[in-house]
Amino acid sequence: MQSHHNHPVLTDTHSFLTVKNIAVNYGEIAALQDVTLSIPANRVTVLIGPSGCGKSTTLRCLNGLVKIDGGSITYEDEGIQDLSETDLRRSMGYAIQSVGLMPHLSVEENVDLVPRLLGWPKASRTERVEKLLKLVRLEPEIYSKKYPHELSGGEAQRIGFARALGADPPMLLMDEPFGAVDPLNREQLQDEFIRIQRQLKKTVVFVTHDLDEAIRLADYLVIMKDGKIVQADAPERILASPRGEFVERFLGPDRALQRLTLFTADRLMEKVLSGVEEKPALAPDESSNRTYWQVDAEGKPIAGYAWVGDKAIRRLIVNGTHTVQQYSSLKECVSKILNLGLPSAAVVCEEGRLCGEVRFETIQQISQG
Amino acid sequence: MYRSISSDTCFLEKLGPNGVIVDRADFRLNFQQKLASVVLLLFFASFFFPFYLARENRISEDIQSGLLSLSPLCILFLMLPPLLIALHAFARKGWMKEVTITLSGVLGLFFPMMVLAIVGSDVSDAFGSLARYSPASGMYLYLTAVIIIFLMKPKFRLYDLSGMILVALAVMFVASKGSYDRLGIVLEGRNFGSRVTREVLAHIRLTFISLGISIVIGIPLALASFQGKRAKKIVFPFLNLLQTIPSIALFGLLITPLSLLSRTFPFLREMGIKGIGNAPAIIALSTYALYPIIRYSFTAFSSIEESVIQAAKGMGMNPFQIWRMVRFPLAAPGVLHGIRVALIQTIGNATLAKLIGGDGLGVLVFEGLGQASVDMVLLGMLLIIALTIASDRIFQIFIYLVTPPALRGKAVGNG
Ligand SMILES: Nc1ncnc2c1ncn2[C@@H]1O[C@H](COP(=O)(O)OP(=O)(O)O)[C@@H](O)[C@H]1O
Ligand SMILES: [Mg+2]
Repeated sequence: MQSHHNHPVLTDTHSFLTVKNIAVNYGEIAALQDVTLSIPANRVTVLIGPSGCGKSTTLRCLNGLVKIDGGSITYEDEGIQDLSETDLRRSMGYAIQSVGLMPHLSVEENVDLVPRLLGWPKASRTERVEKLLKLVRLEPEIYSKKYPHELSGGEAQRIGFARALGADPPMLLMDEPFGAVDPLNREQLQDEFIRIQRQLKKTVVFVTHDLDEAIRLADYLVIMKDGKIVQADAPERILASPRGEFVERFLGPDRALQRLTLFTADRLMEKVLSGVEEKPALAPDESSNRTYWQVDAEGKPIAGYAWVGDKAIRRLIVNGTHTVQQYSSLKECVSKILNLGLPSAAVVCEEGRLCGEVRFETIQQISQG
Repeated sequence: MYRSISSDTCFLEKLGPNGVIVDRADFRLNFQQKLASVVLLLFFASFFFPFYLARENRISEDIQSGLLSLSPLCILFLMLPPLLIALHAFARKGWMKEVTITLSGVLGLFFPMMVLAIVGSDVSDAFGSLARYSPASGMYLYLTAVIIIFLMKPKFRLYDLSGMILVALAVMFVASKGSYDRLGIVLEGRNFGSRVTREVLAHIRLTFISLGISIVIGIPLALASFQGKRAKKIVFPFLNLLQTIPSIALFGLLITPLSLLSRTFPFLREMGIKGIGNAPAIIALSTYALYPIIRYSFTAFSSIEESVIQAAKGMGMNPFQIWRMVRFPLAAPGVLHGIRVALIQTIGNATLAKLIGGDGLGVLVFEGLGQASVDMVLLGMLLIIALTIASDRIFQIFIYLVTPPALRGKAVGNG
């Protein structure tokens, strides 16, 4: 089971904790059987599998919410090795699908819960809450005094995430944290998650049943079935060589398309041709397969202009609907490209300014592996 | 362009180009206007019923007097509130509606009280120094109309309260001149004298001791039922059974076993525990109050979302912290609501304590019944109502203060 250690993303890290042959029974039901897993430090491990396969149970074993009936869990990270159970939980952020925000506490008090339990001094706690709210892109002045019932689903999930990060724990356990939001919001939350994870580099164990989400977020993907692990590896290697029929079926017939979710737009982003004029001063070469982007005074894209065959086309751009972000997946880029009929997708950065494009040609190259 | 379909219709209709009705102006009475007509009807009816009863002494026969026997000035004044409410119903402007309804309500309280004061001197002039009088059905109808007026108000405002306080001050001033001295209720209150205060205090004491006992027993039982299936299986059938026993029967049922107990164990008798008296009353009242307390508390504890508890555990709260920081604050509004229901119920039921030899305002009511003295019954009833409303108000304020701000104003449990 150490095989993942020779993958480029997984080689320069160590094992944060090791699960050896654990079993969990709920009465007669064997929820987990002989699960062995090593969680790489500072990486995102995603557990995926059909409903009822034991993902949540595995996760809850890690922070002791579920008692194991056999096997062992060894914490190899020195910081949390010898902690008591409650201290262990406080050192692992926990975010769940239903969010579980305390309805009687304000946003601020919710995010502050673990630092409070840990007895941090008041001043540093206030500072911490503000920092975390900014991190999940919620304005502290607007949100800190609100109550959970005044939040939208997406906002509540963000607060749940901020609360999990509360005491800056080295490890995060997330059980379908974006499960209860609509697809559009879910993608946005994933973008945010990738951005934050690149910044904080936590050891994350993330449960989901959404394959796109799993492939997008995972450094290490663990596929489970009936309380057992069927395959665990870096997602691109699972996509390249699925082990057995179950995994193959689980990944579906569109593996080439799934591969596209592996990459974020910023990986393939190229410099753009842009200007405030409606048409480019220089006609783009017909064979260059690029788009000329018309931008407004603030640098936000308004329209795209390109030659397709021998015809010039111009498409109006609605920011957000027709553009992607740095951390959007290539799959999303392809969708925008096909949608507009332009040869590339516009990538916008903060405040919606144009900062690059991803060309269909480049995507084709990468999807061939 | 609207056109009226016929002269007596309640609609005006606007027709489109091809004769289809595209809009319709509705002239039917709205809800507020319907209420106003009910009120007017009540006022109208009140004029044809006896407004007050007078007697030469406590046991002589009633002499009924209708509104029309009053002086023309009194009649004029009493007509003012109905007039104002009619104005209210058809006033167009918001402020106009508010002014008319407020004046109508406040004056509707003020004038009858003043009329009663005037009648007071008339009665003693006519019947001598032993005469007494009480308000009668007409007056009650009149006051019912006034209560509906206050209920019709979308919001009870500060000036309504000020108006009521002014009326109360006026009444107290008139009372201090002795104008109500011949009023039956006042006479009965005065006859009983310090007994009235004593029974009020006894009533409060009965209520609070019983309520205290059932809180101390009920909340742990609710917690036990919440935590364990077995406790729930015992507690709830027992509660349901208790609920089917009428309260009077419960009081009676306790007489035999308790008198047996006190006869067997004399020390119990010395503690005041006998088949009759306050002890069985307290036992019955607190048993009865268990139901709302346990029901509401149980619902409050079980309706906390499991995800919240899971999150709390996952964040590293120990069981004690989960109770203190999550379960108790979240269940508090529901638990307190149960106590409030129990409080109101106990104040009412405590009236029955008299039936098994206990104290409290039941003494006035049941002695009044025994002596066929409506005034005495009325005095007891009014005091019970006042006590209920006052304690409910105070308790509501208390609930508001201890409820976490986020949970205020939300519906509590459905127990
Ligand atoms: N508290 C519980 N009591 C009994 N059975 C449970 C409990 N929690 C989970 N299970 C069972 O254990 C299995 C695994 O559940 P779970 O880990 O929640 O699956 P997943 O998260 O992958 O959907 C399922 O068959 C589920 O029915
Ligand atoms: Mg699950």
